[in-house]
Amino acid sequence: MKENTTENIINSVNMDSLDAEGLKFFGQVTAAISHELKNIFAIISETTGFLNDLTQLARKGEKFDLSILENCNNSIAEEIERGFHTIRQMNKFAHSVDDPVKEIDVKAYLELVVKLTQFLSFAKKVNILPFEESIPVTTSPFLLQSLIYHVLCCLYKSTQEDEISVCFESRDDRHLHMIFSGPIQDVSDCFPSPDIKRILDILSIESIVESEPFKLEMSIPKAVNLRIKGI
Amino acid sequence: MKVILVDDEKKFINMLAKRLKFRGFDPIVAVNGEEAIKIASETQFEVAVLDIKMPGISGLQLKRELAAGNPDLKFIFVTGHGAIDKDDDNFNPNDIYLSKPLDIEILISTMKKIVK
Repeated sequence: MKENTTENIINSVNMDSLDAEGLKFFGQVTAAISHELKNIFAIISETTGFLNDLTQLARKGEKFDLSILENCNNSIAEEIERGFHTIRQMNKFAHSVDDPVKEIDVKAYLELVVKLTQFLSFAKKVNILPFEESIPVTTSPFLLQSLIYHVLCCLYKSTQEDEISVCFESRDDRHLHMIFSGPIQDVSDCFPSPDIKRILDILSIESIVESEPFKLEMSIPKAVNLRIKGI
Repeated sequence: MKVILVDDEKKFINMLAKRLKFRGFDPIVAVNGEEAIKIASETQFEVAVLDIKMPGISGLQLKRELAAGNPDLKFIFVTGHGAIDKDDDNFNPNDIYLSKPLDIEILISTMKKIVK
């Protein structure tokens, strides 16, 4: 009888469906990013269009306050910076598949995924509580990101309030505990979904959901011996 | 022509309103569905230009709310998404969908066409 090791769990998973899920997640994130970029371009396009309208008026001898031009320039500069910021996040996300397994700072990945989810129309504000200690975790960055993304989407859809908090606790040498809390009644519709459950199994992450007050805790092994088929 | 523009991208919607005003339209902006419903309860519009994806009430849901108060209101949807969720209960293939960034001349000709 095979041992219930991470490697055996991975091999027993239908990798085709995992690949499909990974692609779906990649598609969701890139679609959200492209939506953000389109919004940025839409603002720049309208602002330059407005400047063109002003130019036509000026040609006809109309006078207008120069501060209008200044405001338009500032607006374009702000949107360009917003675009660079978005592309920096996209770049970080794209590179998360470079190494199938590596040592990462989970807090940095959480921060990135929170930013990526903020492009979604149903996103809520997320408060990441200070955690000074940097705890390296060896895991699959892409799968962990996918997991956090799915969990956040589930929490966003389960509350109307902008009060989701995430904190970390390191109670022992073996696990990092990531704890989500907020004014949420019930997440049974989406946690754990089959996709979430599959990733939890692969990454050997245990999860607990408590209500009143709501708490979703994930115990992330600090080192998991992952060998993912095909990569 | 009285037009209500609804989009959570405030800068986009304000700039679009200024450009429409230059071209003789009478636009009013709302940054979410709730605000749009309130404004529309006090003013009659001929056209509503709605973003599809917004926090709270989506553009597709908003159409139903606004149409209930003004059955003659015409709708144009604007989206930054490449694909529209055709499985959404509020999706109607006969509605008009324009993609961001907008071409203002196409928007204007579309508005004139549907109001006529």
